Amino acid sequence: MSRSIDLDKVAPDDPIVTKSDFAKGYVETKPVEAEKNDTINNNVFEDLNNKIYGITGHTKHSLSSLLINPHIFDFEERDDDEKIILVARPHWATNISWILTTILLVIAPSLLKYVPLLGSIPQKFQFVGILAWYLVTFAFAFEKFLDWYFDVFIITNKRVIDIDFDNLLNKKFSEANLSMIQDVTSEVKGVAQTMFNYGNVLIQTAAEIPEITFELVPNPEKIIKVLEVLREKGETK
Amino acid sequence: MLGDLNSYLSLAEKIFGILGTVIYLIFALVIVKQVRTMSKDVKDKFNGILISFSYLHLAVAIILVFLAVTVL
Repeated sequence: MSRSIDLDKVAPDDPIVTKSDFAKGYVETKPVEAEKNDTINNNVFEDLNNKIYGITGHTKHSLSSLLINPHIFDFEERDDDEKIILVARPHWATNISWILTTILLVIAPSLLKYVPLLGSIPQKFQFVGILAWYLVTFAFAFEKFLDWYFDVFIITNKRVIDIDFDNLLNKKFSEANLSMIQDVTSEVKGVAQTMFNYGNVLIQTAAEIPEITFELVPNPEKIIKVLEVLREKGETK
Repeated sequence: MLGDLNSYLSLAEKIFGILGTVIYLIFALVIVKQVRTMSKDVKDKFNGILISFSYLHLAVAIILVFLAVTVL
């Protein structure tokens, strides 16, 4: 029997697929053992997720300060086998001050008509001035929102991560493996933090960065419980 | 004499106006670049909207430079 070129390319470990298997669309990608492991891992994650949902509840909105098991959220440094369990941003109440400032800045031009001297400024100058004013106001609010939106604290099945952008120009990335965590504490200070139940979660680690702080996150005690569950479980692969 | 002073003042206004808006345009460009970089690092549902807003902001900044050149 003459050997074809294709047969020469078949390695000893390659699965042997017959023509009829191809016709049925059969493609063997994983050995049975690997599939079994996947099923076990999925069950472990489902169990873990249920425990975490029990502590924190489900996320109600994508703009929520606490996202549990988010499906859309992702970050550049994530490993392929790493699963995001919790994402926290500073509490919404931390935005109140800049929202109020923005409202005042928006209202301000309408109050200028009560200033008698400004009436003498030509109409075209007033128009350009007001347009510039609103543009700067928008930039102020937009920058504050971006500061909040991209200031994220992430807990995965492997590590805790703090991504922070200072003044939109400097990126700070801190991480520590779950196994490196030594101590976790929380602090809720002042009237606003007590009223809205938000504060800092301080994570002491044995890693290169001795302390990672989740700043002004909602429900710090729940985040600590989630970390406890994950540390009990150990690194879930 | 007074007419000369007025023309000098209006010229100074125009120069400062154009300079200010051009600096602002550079700032708007930096915002676009930064939002794109941050969106690459942290991916979430509203990244597309934020990038659109940054471009809108840039477009208005360009209009402002145009107005500073023509109107002032």
